[in-house]
Amino acid sequence: MFSEQARQTAGQCRHYAMCKIDYLGTGLCRSGEENQYVSHFPQGRMDIYHALCRGLVPITRGLVEIAGSCDLCGICDKQCHFVTGMRPVEVMRALKTHVRQWLEQGNQPVQAASDPDLEAMRRIVGDKWASNDPAVLLTYADDPFPLAGMRTPRYVALPKSREEVAALVRFANTRNLPYVVRGNGGSVFGFVFSDGLVMDMNRMKGIEIDRENWTARVEPGVTSFELQKEAVRHGLRANTAEPAATVCGNIVCTGLFSTWSNAYGVNADTFVDMEFIDSRGDFFRLNDPLAANAFCFEHKLTPAPGICTLAHVRLHPSTEDEEGLMVPFDDFEEAVLFARELSTRRIGLALGVLGGHYLSTFMSPSAELADKVRYGLTHALGLRYVVFMVGDRFAREAVRSMREFVIDSKLFRMLMLGLPRLGDDEWLDLVSGMHTDQPPYAILLRPEMYSLLEAVLRPSPETAAQAVDEDLQDFYAQLYARPQMTDMVWLNMFRIISARMSRRKHMFAFLVYVPLDRVQVIKQICGQLGRIADKYGIENDYGFLTPLDLGKRAILEYDYYIDHQDPLEKEKIRKALKEFEPYLDNLSASTKGVKWLKYIFSQGCARKEAFLYT
Amino acid sequence: MMVQTRKQQTFLVTGGTGFLGSHVAVDLLSRGHRVLVLARGRSNSSASQRMEQLLNWFGIRKDQRMDLKILQGDLNRPGLGLDPRDARVVSRETDETVHCASDTSFSPDRREQVERTNILGLENLLDVVRESPCRALHLVSTAYVAGKSRGLCAEDFGQVREFHNVYEETKFRAEKIAAEHCAVNRITLYVYRPSIVYGNSTTGRTTLFKALYYPIRTLHFFQKLYTRDILENGGKKARDMQVLLGGNGVLHLPVRIQSSDECGLNLIPVDHFVEAFMAIRRGCPEGGVFHIVNPRSTTISRLADYTRRFFQLEGVRAVEPDEFLKQPRNGLELLFDSYIRYYGPYMQDRRIFENSRTSAILAGQNISCPEFSYQVFATCMRYAVETDWGRQL
Repeated sequence: MFSEQARQTAGQCRHYAMCKIDYLGTGLCRSGEENQYVSHFPQGRMDIYHALCRGLVPITRGLVEIAGSCDLCGICDKQCHFVTGMRPVEVMRALKTHVRQWLEQGNQPVQAASDPDLEAMRRIVGDKWASNDPAVLLTYADDPFPLAGMRTPRYVALPKSREEVAALVRFANTRNLPYVVRGNGGSVFGFVFSDGLVMDMNRMKGIEIDRENWTARVEPGVTSFELQKEAVRHGLRANTAEPAATVCGNIVCTGLFSTWSNAYGVNADTFVDMEFIDSRGDFFRLNDPLAANAFCFEHKLTPAPGICTLAHVRLHPSTEDEEGLMVPFDDFEEAVLFARELSTRRIGLALGVLGGHYLSTFMSPSAELADKVRYGLTHALGLRYVVFMVGDRFAREAVRSMREFVIDSKLFRMLMLGLPRLGDDEWLDLVSGMHTDQPPYAILLRPEMYSLLEAVLRPSPETAAQAVDEDLQDFYAQLYARPQMTDMVWLNMFRIISARMSRRKHMFAFLVYVPLDRVQVIKQICGQLGRIADKYGIENDYGFLTPLDLGKRAILEYDYYIDHQDPLEKEKIRKALKEFEPYLDNLSASTKGVKWLKYIFSQGCARKEAFLYT
Repeated sequence: MMVQTRKQQTFLVTGGTGFLGSHVAVDLLSRGHRVLVLARGRSNSSASQRMEQLLNWFGIRKDQRMDLKILQGDLNRPGLGLDPRDARVVSRETDETVHCASDTSFSPDRREQVERTNILGLENLLDVVRESPCRALHLVSTAYVAGKSRGLCAEDFGQVREFHNVYEETKFRAEKIAAEHCAVNRITLYVYRPSIVYGNSTTGRTTLFKALYYPIRTLHFFQKLYTRDILENGGKKARDMQVLLGGNGVLHLPVRIQSSDECGLNLIPVDHFVEAFMAIRRGCPEGGVFHIVNPRSTTISRLADYTRRFFQLEGVRAVEPDEFLKQPRNGLELLFDSYIRYYGPYMQDRRIFENSRTSAILAGQNISCPEFSYQVFATCMRYAVETDWGRQL
């Protein structure tokens, strides 16, 4: 018997791999930490249960071991709820129950037969670290990306060293075995599958900080979160991507970008050197004069230079007086122009233009509250857009001299910890009715109003925790009592709340480099992507925009939201693809400064100048 | 031109789910007329459901509802967005039209939307009316089409050059459009210009809690907020704002409101508006422009006094502008200041609305505007609090 509710939850796993990093200080899933395969993390068990319900996988010895290794500790409930609102323990329990009952009925699990290839790979990586168990393979076969189908590999291997990776490549070549690399065992773009071998780099976690050179040497299993944590320990900062994404994988695939890219750059700006293994199994470094030129850019789909085994990335200093600041705007164009002005004048480090949707979703511990306060933030307070900035006191003073109304760190903390009461109907009615000749934030966000806002919101970790299920409230109250949970700088460095954008539905993100001096082009792209989505009934919204290279260019994100388990929704996106793909292709080919990320794919090591100004 | 006087007339009423429109529609029904109400559905309820809720609120008997027909439509669409069957009913049966639908937003950002409703909507309506036997158009406008005029504002279609906001401007333009259309098509035009309308002066009942109600509701919100802070949380926030709770249960809420005794609000109760509307329709067959206003304005100082008494508050008071030079505004006062400034033309009104024609008609039928006394204020506020400012309606 399968639990329908557990099946539905299992099918909604976003493969963000957030259960593979200890981002809340809860510790990691013990089984995952010990066994390293995706299948042994909550994400893998979700996939396995969903596949079992659909009859896609037999109960194998591996599956029995995977189910049995979960001790129902509840860590995954906390981790997953924080970003998706889901409670995976229910799925873990259902999986264990199902397997136990199945065994009690006298059934025997399937034993995946070994073969010479598997034996050969086990000699390279060790017996435990190569598998052909169908339950293990299944967790490397699919992603929520709606335009890719399932593709199950024959083997999964987890090498520990660069030498083992090279040996696996050479072995695969001798056997004509196709292979791919999955940095953290997942890919939200859904492009990284193979019928042959999947190499999961999760065991290669080495980080070596070079303080004299402001750099770090990072192995391919290191995630952005882990690098940032180590960098901060040394008083430095990394320009990082999504927290669970691996640093190497990110650089190779798309190049690194974030709101910090305003100051720290993108793509080749972010590293000193990279080490790869080529298709023959030989090592090369990008700085080697004889190496293939990965710094160039071609406007076409291009394979990656090889398997990245080391990234030598740049780190950056920080000052003790850095704080976050948000500047509210009614109008998108005004917000973009202001962000551009800051970038051009070199004011601030991290910089971005966020929509009200992003803001409410990032800040809210639950989807219900996000929906409720979205109206409160965008309409009642008038925060339709905010320019977000991290800067030292000089930068913040400069911004305050340019704009009268800002949300400083104190006010942000107040809003974050009082968010459930910001959505209070009586308060919202009152604020909505307050028609004046200024946007509401111009009155409500004045320092004189802080005391009143505090009285209304009664901000506290306990207030913030009211937004979540009762049994999680103590945990959330303790979590929100940590200063970093309401610190715009920390949150923006570790990016643990950005995955909340996929909380309601899977997010299909369009990332496009755009000319920041031509706001009309940016508005046209948003407008056209919005129109295509509306035509097919796809939820859509503006995401964010970050200035680059002193305000000359920017990276724009526009998002579609779909239920990846709903065939109708998949069909909608397939139809929409026939319109958005040629639109963005043509625009990328014909408009200076516009480049769809699709063309940067696998050219993440390229110099930004090679694609931003061609 | 004479308005028909046969026993049962058929009225087309727009804005029938709104505050004034619903009151007029219900009154017409109670007088035995047939009423066609144009209404829009919303995401959570159809036009019929919305009207049904209103009729329940008014306590209209089932048998009285027989003469009411809900027309699901949209003023902003050509032909009022009516289906062909309803369009035929309107074009064949309408004797008189009451146009109450309006967008009352002041914000320049909403100009397009306000123009769409107040101008385009009227034009759509006039196109439909032209094809019907309708011979009288009752246009509910506002006394504030007077715009930035000073002193005496005439009870006619005079010229106005400047307006405080897009609402006033579009209502003024709507009057002109209606006047031209009615002259060409030989339709009798009645333009009703009420001032600020509040609830029923006898029962306090209302479905709209804006205008007069909003600032008082804000004070009530603060009262509850700080009382709870004092009683449940030690009162730190209250002390920060110098809010104190006396032993007698009276809350000291330091809110100074900038004002002057030379100006005030012109307030009329909704029952007076409806009564005046019916009297004018009945008593003035040639139509015209009618100021339905209160001969006596209410000062902010008086409103503050009423508020203190009813809500058991201290510290809420009207002050001269100089007062704020001595002590800057606190957060509560800033909120009020922004509101008062925005609604300044209506809350600190020095204009005098000439209403000799209306007065003569009303006096002839023994109708006068009730005084805005403490008794009336208390009745209205009691109802507002009971219904949680409309949230429990």
